[in-house]
Amino acid sequence: MIGFLTRRAGAAIAVLLVLTAAVFVLQQNSPGDPVKAYLGANASPAAVAAERASLHLDDPLASRYWHYLTQALRGDLGTSYRTHRPVTADLGAFLPATVELVVVAFLFALLLGAVFAMLRTIAGTFVRGILLVGATAPPFLLALGGIILFYAHLGWLPATGRGGNDDGFLLTHSLVTGDWAQLGAGLQHVVLPALVLAVAPAVSIGRILRASLQQTLGADHVRTARAKGLTEAAVFGRHVLRNSIGPGLSMAGLQLGFMFAGVVVVEQIFSWPGIGNYLAESIPAADYPAIAGVTVVLGAVYVVTNTVVDMIQALADPRIAL
Amino acid sequence: MKPLRVTAAVLTAVLLISACSGQTNDAKAANPAPTDGTLTVGLLGDIGQPPDPDIYYANNGLAIVLNTYEGLVQYEDNLDTVKIAPRLATSWEVSADKKVYTFHLRDGVKFHDGTAFTSEAVKVSLQRRTDVKGGAAYMTAGVQSVDTSDPSTAVVTLKEGNAAFLDYLASPFGPKMISPDGLARNKGSDDAQTYLTTHDIGSGPYSLSAVQTGTKYELTQFDGYWGTRSPFTKVELPVYNDSSALELAFDKGDVSAIVAALPSSDLKKYENSAAADSYLLPTLQSALVTLNPSGSFFKTAQARLAFLQSLDREKLIPQVLGNRSELATTLYAKGMIPDGADKQNITYNPEAMKTYAATLPAGSTMTIGYATGNPNAQQLATIVAAQMATLNIKATAQGYPTAQVFDWVNDPAKGPDAFFDGNNGPDGGNPYMWGHVFWDKSGGINYFACDDPSVDADLDKAVLTGDNALFVSAAEKYAASGCYLNFSYNKDWVVAQKWLTGVAESHNIGANELNFAKLGIKG
Repeated sequence: MIGFLTRRAGAAIAVLLVLTAAVFVLQQNSPGDPVKAYLGANASPAAVAAERASLHLDDPLASRYWHYLTQALRGDLGTSYRTHRPVTADLGAFLPATVELVVVAFLFALLLGAVFAMLRTIAGTFVRGILLVGATAPPFLLALGGIILFYAHLGWLPATGRGGNDDGFLLTHSLVTGDWAQLGAGLQHVVLPALVLAVAPAVSIGRILRASLQQTLGADHVRTARAKGLTEAAVFGRHVLRNSIGPGLSMAGLQLGFMFAGVVVVEQIFSWPGIGNYLAESIPAADYPAIAGVTVVLGAVYVVTNTVVDMIQALADPRIAL
Repeated sequence: MKPLRVTAAVLTAVLLISACSGQTNDAKAANPAPTDGTLTVGLLGDIGQPPDPDIYYANNGLAIVLNTYEGLVQYEDNLDTVKIAPRLATSWEVSADKKVYTFHLRDGVKFHDGTAFTSEAVKVSLQRRTDVKGGAAYMTAGVQSVDTSDPSTAVVTLKEGNAAFLDYLASPFGPKMISPDGLARNKGSDDAQTYLTTHDIGSGPYSLSAVQTGTKYELTQFDGYWGTRSPFTKVELPVYNDSSALELAFDKGDVSAIVAALPSSDLKKYENSAAADSYLLPTLQSALVTLNPSGSFFKTAQARLAFLQSLDREKLIPQVLGNRSELATTLYAKGMIPDGADKQNITYNPEAMKTYAATLPAGSTMTIGYATGNPNAQQLATIVAAQMATLNIKATAQGYPTAQVFDWVNDPAKGPDAFFDGNNGPDGGNPYMWGHVFWDKSGGINYFACDDPSVDADLDKAVLTGDNALFVSAAEKYAASGCYLNFSYNKDWVVAQKWLTGVAESHNIGANELNFAKLGIKG
């Protein structure tokens, strides 16, 4: 286990180095003057030149990258050109919203994926139909359709925001402190964006799990278990699900990583104050410190997620060694 | 699998019908007024920069700055011409050489932290603008000294005469008065820049009470405000990143007003609506066309002028911009030069472009740029590109992110041949503020560095005295270069719920925002 974690930590460092280097090369080769975005449209060339110097933007690429890495090791990811705040402070403010959204969306995806795979009734067919329609629609269309239907027409769910003034873990905080009114408002706000984010991953997870279940259901050991007189629930729980869940878990881990990367569109349309929204607003402004900061976070999340999934898979299936 | 396909088809149909059906805005009744004293003004996109008056240099967050801070002067509200009006200064005198400005300050004004407003605040505020070195720091760069010997009079002496100085102060981006005590208490190592990302130290009718960057901003009415107070004790400014979501929230009554945020394509929907009021209010903004002399297509003034003459503005403006815009007949903003002496002599004549096109090699290409996210400019660029095709020119309309647009000045050859600016304007109402930013190479918005040193010299000379004849001369010289066309005068479009009053009265030609203190509830 220690060897596995060491290898993964090494891989994480390599991934983050490559990602940040890519952002720096991109910055070097991209047209655009972030200082204009920083100072404003009518800023004079003299003011722009002075600011470029103070932000070290005229230094050689290698020098800037080295400076970035050494500062990053001290927990300083630079200052956002757009918000004028340290990127770490921005990430600290925006990341909790994204984490909560993705966690809720992931739970929805697991639940809907399980329903997609396992429910063999009319209701299951109905859910599969909804999920397939949703998964084939582009996320922005699904989001807008959801807002029109559930906010504008039915008035069941709010369209934007998180439903509270807490910049941090709003749902977690209200749950821990017993602030049920805030928890209710928070849940009401998270449902629609989380569902939009969950639909496509749910179908991916559901399809893999369904195929795996069908394969296991026809296996010899399942026939033997049934012949021993075990109930269908016991056969399914003990002999089918545990043997089939590996591919589903693997897909779920992959989808969790994709969900973090895919929050941009959903957070934009639902005005969800997370890192996806932060990234979307940073790109047109060529706010490279912010873009690099989000890249580092997403890269780290992806590596950690895959590590955790590998560990869960090993726990679920003793045949898998780490 | 068959039942699944049938279910999917049925669900798709149901969702489509549900989404498309229902009441449209023009069919539904007006929404009721709020009963909790909260005004909700929807923002399209986050404000982008901290709401610090010496930093903020963008548009959609101006409402926050202008309702939490006040300047010495402002532009007259509800007027379609440029006229300086009192704010924290009740009157002023300007020396004949435009070097000494004496302001008589309003009595009884307090900042949100309780500090009294005196001439010391004027000195501190102008100094901070210079020290912070934001985009609009140029406005105080010429200040030599501020005499504060009389607390109720501030005497500002400039290093040299500047006829635009009052306009600098009246500009929505101009220096705002801040509490000297508030600044000293929260100065830190960055002149209180960190503190002012989430707080304010102004004297405006509202104070900044909550900041959720990217989600919502909240203002609370200042009990000690010296001027008019509205029935709105709280103003919420929620951020919508999508104009459709913002419209839905407005139609549902969750948003009270939208200022200059919706695309012109929605104009008719609200102009004809019985459930909402639509206001077209005067501004200094214009749609502009800028041509690139560094590319191969528009190397000569003759070619550039031929292209500008080929634009059928009388058709394009109603088609794309609607009632929100009118054909620009002057080189500066509407009304900036008295009696329209700065006449723009570009009239529609497609023959000149046809003649120029005939001289071009077969397969000549042209790129027409627009700022990404500006649907009006995109539509204009697309239509004009299609028109160029009829002259056998392969024209392409292409969007560019803002940061890239501002980088062209460093290497104009990297820019497109032409650029459509859907809406742009000066910081204030003085002709220098227009001519300098759009025509001077060092102005900031001369995208392709199309420069005529004699124009810059005329502008620099004219600003010393305010000589309008010299301003007109500079404009005419620049127009002859063919690098620039004032395409249309644009208006500010405000959509408000029926119950909201005072919209036009709370708006001025310089600030594309509303003074929330002047708004009210009908009945």
